[in-house]
Amino acid sequence: MHIIKLSAIDSTNSYLRQLSAAQVLEDYTVVMTDRQTEGRGQMGTQWDAQDGKNLTVSVLKDISFLKIQDQFFISMAAALAISDVLKYFGLKRVKVKWPNDILSENKKIAGILIENVIKQNQIQHTIIGVGLNVNQTEYPDLPQASSMRLISGNVFDLDEVLNKIINKMEHYFTMLENGETKELKRLYEKRLFRINKPSTFKDVEGHLFAGFIKGVTDSGSLEVLLEDEVLKTFDLKEITLLY
Amino acid sequence: MDIKEIQNLIKFVAKSGASEVKLEMDDIKITIKTGSEDKGESTTILQQIPVSNPIAQAAPVAEVQATVPAVPVAPPADENSKYVTIKSPIIGTFYRKPAPDKPVFVEVGSSIKEGDVLCVIEAMKLFNEIESEISGKIVKILVDDASPVEFDQPLFLVDPS
Repeated sequence: MHIIKLSAIDSTNSYLRQLSAAQVLEDYTVVMTDRQTEGRGQMGTQWDAQDGKNLTVSVLKDISFLKIQDQFFISMAAALAISDVLKYFGLKRVKVKWPNDILSENKKIAGILIENVIKQNQIQHTIIGVGLNVNQTEYPDLPQASSMRLISGNVFDLDEVLNKIINKMEHYFTMLENGETKELKRLYEKRLFRINKPSTFKDVEGHLFAGFIKGVTDSGSLEVLLEDEVLKTFDLKEITLLY
Repeated sequence: MDIKEIQNLIKFVAKSGASEVKLEMDDIKITIKTGSEDKGESTTILQQIPVSNPIAQAAPVAEVQATVPAVPVAPPADENSKYVTIKSPIIGTFYRKPAPDKPVFVEVGSSIKEGDVLCVIEAMKLFNEIESEISGKIVKILVDDASPVEFDQPLFLVDPS
């Protein structure tokens, strides 16, 4: 593991992306910062973090072994790695809210932003951005956000948390490289928030409907069992889980 | 060897399944080829027709005439083939910018080189930067920003010259 620490940067993902374009980087090259000035959630959502209290990192991984249609397994591997680490540090009810938000006790404590570089219809490498709320204690206006400290009462060492995350990523990406996709999916589904529980969803027109999350497809769509025993798959843009 | 014997011999060879039999006797030499090689026969006939039949000779002329009206159609096809179409490698949402408040990656007229990022296609929160495999100039952008794209859908026309 090769770590680059920066006191402040616009975005760790963008920085790592530019670095990877300029030179060959080893697997698990990490960019870490105390302060991200233009941290991104999903296409523009702001990720609000206090300086030095959270883990704001981007990790580079060569993924040229992976078929482009299997790219959702990157999401699964990253979500499994981070949720494993939270469990390791004693957090309770650690779940993955589809597709890749990490919850503990129903609060969001980590987000993942994955950016792939595709050339000649093949993923070259992936950049996994992780925003993990570690020691921050105030989340004004964000009732569904929390941190490792708020939930567990403990203060954590950021480097130690990062080391564990990288170890776990190595574990799950080795599984992926060995073709253990079925097992990865099984583990991911086991950890899915509200799996097999009656849940309420909202569709694009704003209509509410009930169903049970049954799992995900290989491409990452959510499988929901509806009231009339019909199993339907939903794209991310078609459905919102209410909780 | 009389004609009856030769006929029988021909029938026998035809039934045997052999495609060619050569027979040489004192003052007679017979080669029998069966019709199993249809292609060879028909080729021979076609070659002969233009020589022996004036009507058949007209056919090539008609063909030339037929290609004439086709000529005006050909240039657009040529022009398109001059350009390279960059297609979407996945199903997802097409974005022309790295973030909503950032400038677009490329515009019509932009010069691009191999390895330049042309767009982002997002699928299930995975953001895929699509790099160009060629150098050239963007001639046309075929998809609007933030709209869904299918696998193999054309995204850009690039003039590689």
